[in-house]
Amino acid sequence: MSSSGGKAGGIHAGERRFALALTVPGLLVLLLTTTFPLLYLIWSSFQTINLAMPFMDGFAGVDNYIQMWGDSRFWHSLKLTAIYTTSSVTLQILIGLGLALLVMQIPAGQWIFRIVAILPIVLAPVVVGLFWRTLMLSPNFGLVDYLIQLLGFEQVNWLGAPTPALISVIVIHTWQWTPFAFLVLLASLASLPPDVYEAARIDRASAFQRFWHITLPLLRPAIVIVVIIRSMISLAAFAAIFAATGGGPGTATEILNLYAFKTSFVELNFGYGSALAVSLLVITMVISGVLFYLRTARHKATAA
Amino acid sequence: MIAHRRARILRTVVLMVVASTLLLIWVLPLIWAFVVSLKSEREVLAYPPTVIFSPTTSNYADALFGDFSIVDSLLTSAIVSTATTVLTIVLAVPAAYAFARLRLPAKRSLGFYTMATQMVPPVGLVIPYFLILNRFGWLDTYHGMITVYLTFSLPFAIWLLVSYMEDVPWEMEEAAFLDKASRLQTLWHVVIPQVRGGIAVTVIFIFLNAWNEFLFAVQLGGNTVRPVTVAMYNFISVEQTLWAKLSAAALVAMLPVVIIGIAAQKQIVKGLSVGAVKGGGRR
Repeated sequence: MSSSGGKAGGIHAGERRFALALTVPGLLVLLLTTTFPLLYLIWSSFQTINLAMPFMDGFAGVDNYIQMWGDSRFWHSLKLTAIYTTSSVTLQILIGLGLALLVMQIPAGQWIFRIVAILPIVLAPVVVGLFWRTLMLSPNFGLVDYLIQLLGFEQVNWLGAPTPALISVIVIHTWQWTPFAFLVLLASLASLPPDVYEAARIDRASAFQRFWHITLPLLRPAIVIVVIIRSMISLAAFAAIFAATGGGPGTATEILNLYAFKTSFVELNFGYGSALAVSLLVITMVISGVLFYLRTARHKATAA
Repeated sequence: MIAHRRARILRTVVLMVVASTLLLIWVLPLIWAFVVSLKSEREVLAYPPTVIFSPTTSNYADALFGDFSIVDSLLTSAIVSTATTVLTIVLAVPAAYAFARLRLPAKRSLGFYTMATQMVPPVGLVIPYFLILNRFGWLDTYHGMITVYLTFSLPFAIWLLVSYMEDVPWEMEEAAFLDKASRLQTLWHVVIPQVRGGIAVTVIFIFLNAWNEFLFAVQLGGNTVRPVTVAMYNFISVEQTLWAKLSAAALVAMLPVVIIGIAAQKQIVKGLSVGAVKGGGRR
């Protein structure tokens, strides 16, 4: 088509030039602001860069990666990242979907839920982390602690003991982002065609059958998308944990993000911190690749 | 028949109770933050926590004009967020138009590239940026911070805008073309007015994300550039127990995004789902 010459080719060539002129500034900025720093990160992961000991700086080869392989703190942070991401995303989907189905049944006042749900989403994660750390989870003065004792349970040092701290940061993340899943799923529930339900009702399908055989398959694309987005954001999570626990106690909530950050900015070991960040980058790429592949494979399967 | 109706009413009541309980879980931390912000610091440390007390606005006065003033930080956040938003829109609108509508060489690869840049975890950027900006002397500067903020705003904006541009009817562009309008005129006078809503949604998202950003701000900012998120964090690390002042300051700091959130609630949900289809949205 494009090389067919004559007037049409001229128009297309002009269009291409115009399209390039429109995209080049944006892409150039992306190249400089994103790709260049990433290349720099990869380069520095093969260096010894320690601001505390600058005299040691120099080419390190794969030393940082060898160190990482034998670093139990790295494997621990990787495990925490996996637990944090899978559990918070699962909880978000389950609670979000349940809440969306529930709110759909309510005859009036759905708007209240929509307004309330938007609030956690627009708050800064660092503020959410701080609120929970102080007002909610602090021993003695926190609201959660008070309510738990009111119900007759033992006091729990939520952010001071390893397992409760991990549960807490997962709950905080789930609290902030379940409304996202809720709102997106509520919107797609509202857009489902009512006639399929009518047909099912005439067939005397039970409520559960209707959900399992009609609603869930129709919602699947939306659920898959929410899973993809939330997984990516969960893998990039930083501020809320940093504010709530700082990765502690010890390394109990130190997901890979925080480990890479602390290695660089607390221990000032930028070479090793870069290697940790590169591993995070690779993991994110692999997971997003798998999720997108599953999504398109599913699309093709349903289209065929 | 009456039994049937009674069962339905009962069901509705149960649903309402369950839903309201869940609602409460989601608003409780925020309501509690508001209650605490009206207490004196002494009152905050009372056990059991008090609900009845004489409220004071002194925490808000302190957060705005007193020793713990966050006014400078609010100003910094406003400057950084606004500049990021304007720059992003200027760069993203033309690029999105080309992606959505025009013959562009290597369109698929370039589109994939744009989307991939959006997936980069911020920790992977803050480390090299610290070293790079340090070398340029750009740490703790506005131009440095805004440059860094483009990394998350630009790819997201391009993809969100593409999805809106794709919905513009072709006929409008054809009509403009037949009127011998130049391509640039078509973009400016025909396409952009059509996607005004989409641009507004994009502006909202970029502004929210820039306002709430913390990781880059805490490490690449400093005394000159200290956005509200960092000011909030410093609160807790410097003064462990000033919860009432923290609550008041945090609520003031979050007021702009909460207002935007409530006012543009419908558009945000639409943007979440539209961006969702294209794989957008990040924090």
